[in-house]
Amino acid sequence: MKNRLKVLRAERDWSQADLADRLEVSRQTINALETGKYDPSLPLAFKIARLFEQPIESIFDDGQA
Amino acid sequence: MTATSSSPKLNRARIAQGVAGLIVGGGLGYLIGRVIKQGRIDVSDLTWSDNVAVLIAVMLFVAGTVLVAATFSKRLAARVIDPASDRPARPAQIVFYRQQAVVLALSGVMMAAPVVARVLSQPLSGQLAAAVMAAIVGLFLLQTLLNLSVWTRADEMIRQMVGEAGAVCFWVLQGALFLWAAAEKLELVPALTAWDMMTILMGFYLVISSVISVRRGLA
Repeated sequence: MKNRLKVLRAERDWSQADLADRLEVSRQTINALETGKYDPSLPLAFKIARLFEQPIESIFDDGQA
Repeated sequence: MTATSSSPKLNRARIAQGVAGLIVGGGLGYLIGRVIKQGRIDVSDLTWSDNVAVLIAVMLFVAGTVLVAATFSKRLAARVIDPASDRPARPAQIVFYRQQAVVLALSGVMMAAPVVARVLSQPLSGQLAAAVMAAIVGLFLLQTLLNLSVWTRADEMIRQMVGEAGAVCFWVLQGALFLWAAAEKLELVPALTAWDMMTILMGFYLVISSVISVRRGLA
């Protein structure tokens, strides 16, 4: 699944570690999310959406839209 | 700016880890070889599974011990936990990874103990066997507690990876076990011992969990 995590993070000038701290996950998880190697659980997707104050579908794209 | 997996900083860390592994592994192999050559220990009746189990045990113990040692320095711990890290490890991270490291080291000790006891004491007395088994059970309980603690504090990707590795191991090995058991019943293949099967399971689990880690970009 594609996502805009890297762009959203860069807009805020956050490092992967900064975002990991805010989401309470490891930096490796952020890296895996950004590189499309891991799809987040629904609770983590909601947490990401709340953190960036955007709807989930504007951050994640499952290619079906 | 966060380093990516192809950064020179990361590559240097990996090369350093590889060189350290070669030095430790080579040194250990040389020492064991010398002891065997001098006839101080008799390894002539070790089976293939004993040899593989000890190899895995040494790998686990060395990896665990190195990681435990690294956690005593916040900067070094951060680099070992995450080579791309540019800040010291936090206390919670240190405790988490130290527990993981102890789990690894304990796995190594428990796997090596039965083989080492047999090699060092021939013939193996009932008393020593019972004492070694009691120690293994104690370590196993301690390791289970630490494993549960690590699981409860791991993030969702780590939990998913552990679950995936467990699922792959179960489906592949239960199939392989069935086929081997059927062939064994038909007297087409030699019988496997519980120790053989445990060694295959551990080796396979380590390979599968490494593959899953690489796929997630962790290795």
